[in-house]
Amino acid sequence: MNEKKTSSLNPPSKEELPSTLTNFQRKEYRKIDFLLIAAGFLLITPILSVHRVTDFMIFCIFAMSFDLLYGYMGRLSFGHMLFLGTGAYSCGLFIKYVSGNPLIAILVGIAVAGLLGILLGLIIVRTTGACFALINLAFNHIGFFLVLSPLREITRGEDGFGVSASKLGFLNFSSRPIMFGSVLLCLLLVFYLLKRLTSSPFGIMIRSIKEDETRVRFLGYNTFLYKWITFVLAGSLAGLAGTLSALNYNYVNPNSMDVHSNVGVVFACLIGGAGNLYGALVGGVVYMVISNFLPIYIHRWEMFLGFSLLIITFRFRKGICGYLLGLWEHGAKKRLIERSAEQGVAKI
Amino acid sequence: MPEILAAEGLSKHFGGLIAVNKVNLSIKKGEVAGIIGPNGSGKTTFFNLLSGFFPPTEGRMFLFGEEITHMPPYQRVMKGMVRTFQLVSVFNSMSVWENLVLSGIRFKERYTSARKFFFLSTKDDEIQENCLKALRLVGLESHASTLTSELSYGSKRLLEIGIALSLNPKLLLLDEPLSGLSDVEISEVLNLLHRIKSDLTLVIIEHKLSKIVNLVDRLCVMNEGHIICEGNPNHVLCDPSVRECYWGKEEIDQGLLQEKASA
Ligand SMILES: Nc1ncnc2c1ncn2[C@@H]1O[C@H](COP(=O)(O)OP(=O)(O)OP(=O)(O)O)[C@@H](O)[C@H]1O
Ligand SMILES: [Mg+2]
Repeated sequence: MNEKKTSSLNPPSKEELPSTLTNFQRKEYRKIDFLLIAAGFLLITPILSVHRVTDFMIFCIFAMSFDLLYGYMGRLSFGHMLFLGTGAYSCGLFIKYVSGNPLIAILVGIAVAGLLGILLGLIIVRTTGACFALINLAFNHIGFFLVLSPLREITRGEDGFGVSASKLGFLNFSSRPIMFGSVLLCLLLVFYLLKRLTSSPFGIMIRSIKEDETRVRFLGYNTFLYKWITFVLAGSLAGLAGTLSALNYNYVNPNSMDVHSNVGVVFACLIGGAGNLYGALVGGVVYMVISNFLPIYIHRWEMFLGFSLLIITFRFRKGICGYLLGLWEHGAKKRLIERSAEQGVAKI
Repeated sequence: MPEILAAEGLSKHFGGLIAVNKVNLSIKKGEVAGIIGPNGSGKTTFFNLLSGFFPPTEGRMFLFGEEITHMPPYQRVMKGMVRTFQLVSVFNSMSVWENLVLSGIRFKERYTSARKFFFLSTKDDEIQENCLKALRLVGLESHASTLTSELSYGSKRLLEIGIALSLNPKLLLLDEPLSGLSDVEISEVLNLLHRIKSDLTLVIIEHKLSKIVNLVDRLCVMNEGHIICEGNPNHVLCDPSVRECYWGKEEIDQGLLQEKASA
């Protein structure tokens, strides 16, 4: 009987689409975006160093994975480092004890972090707000403790251990440019994956969960499933960042699971603008620049991080990218109004 | 006519307060049922029980003859029972058409593919057409790209009904669809309801009796958690117990009441 209802409404043809809608029908991701990102990172390499920029990009991958969880789904976690550390340790241990193949080690790192996400997600994802943030923190503490103490035999406790991956043809990760290129490639892949995911119905799903989860349930969706998927995905991508940092430093130590480092990624997302992949990239770079160079000039540099956070929360709610995007949209709207006014005059 | 929805001895207690008290009700296929009652009489709580917002203290519910008492809300929606909320509930941070993406794709067979759900852009024609179809039905197509928070309350209400309709419901529960709207907006919503009522079964909670009297086939009156009277609208409005519980209430149209009484 519903056929009747829908058949009386013929599907609108292209020309019939309201102009307002077609105006917004631009592609979600463009080739130029990838070029811009790659060019941006390449351009800062002469100023900084290849090794540093590689480190920045790894942090940006981590920030994007965090943004999926926090910016898009609205679940703030204070324990995301757990997944980074898990990726780093499982990659490092695999290379140390099983095989030197770096590609398999990366896959192992992602898989172990993902598996951990699947298990912990079953519990964590059921909570929201402060509870979600703190349960993550609790698990991060547990992970940190495990690495330091009960598993000291294999993880070498506080000292950590060296990681030397074997060469795979030209893929020699101890060469700085090769490492740089591989990390850049990973970053672009992660960006592409997340861009597609967040501009699909799934993206609308997690944004809807952020705004009103109950309402989504009354649209006929089992929200638990989608929150779980997002959590596992964010965990695996953080794991990828971890494996890359292990390969980049040729070294794994408990710092990669340090509970206090969670602050960094939260800062990065807030500075750049949460809920926006470009924001995660910009914020990641800005945070890394601040945390790498400010300490050289100012001893207690964290205070400035505090001040900048205050400015962001009170003045630039949507971060750097959100602010710029707002300016641009405002301008576009203004131009649209001006243009339609001109056309109106022309008609008369 | 076959029974679509049945409640058997449904109760909900909040601490000492009995919001819904042993309600029995059955809704038949294709009918339009209205539920009226003074403030705090348990109408919304009754809807919350039916849609699975919270579990009943006692009693059972059946949808298409199948027991749904302990079924989670999303499964009830998939079975064809959709509800709207007393306070309009739409996604304010998104544009109007984005509000319709999740409901529109869910119930169309071709979107069950995971690949499309996760990787098809929402700017894709297929999805856009679905959204527009629903927007046309409720007359909001010119607002497709507007940010939902900028819509008027009436338009939001229409949008919410549009979302509900794009879920392809067999049974639609509307909680005070006319509350808070201007006269013009009320007539828009009423027009829409008149248009769609032949395609589905409707249950409407409403205070503005005079507005829905021509829409409903059957009226149930709730008071203090009980259904005190049900049946043909004209008959119900003349019932002494209903008049007593509504006496002096501005919601009821006195003129209408007299008119019905003399008829
Ligand atoms: N979640 C809740 N927790 C506690 N008490 C509640 C809850 N929901 C409703 N109540 C109480 O149950 C009673 C019935 O409320 P309900 O919202 O169902 O009334 P209603 O008939 O919808 O009224 P209105 O016409 O004002 O919408 C009220 O006394 C209310 O305070
Ligand atoms: Mg109510």
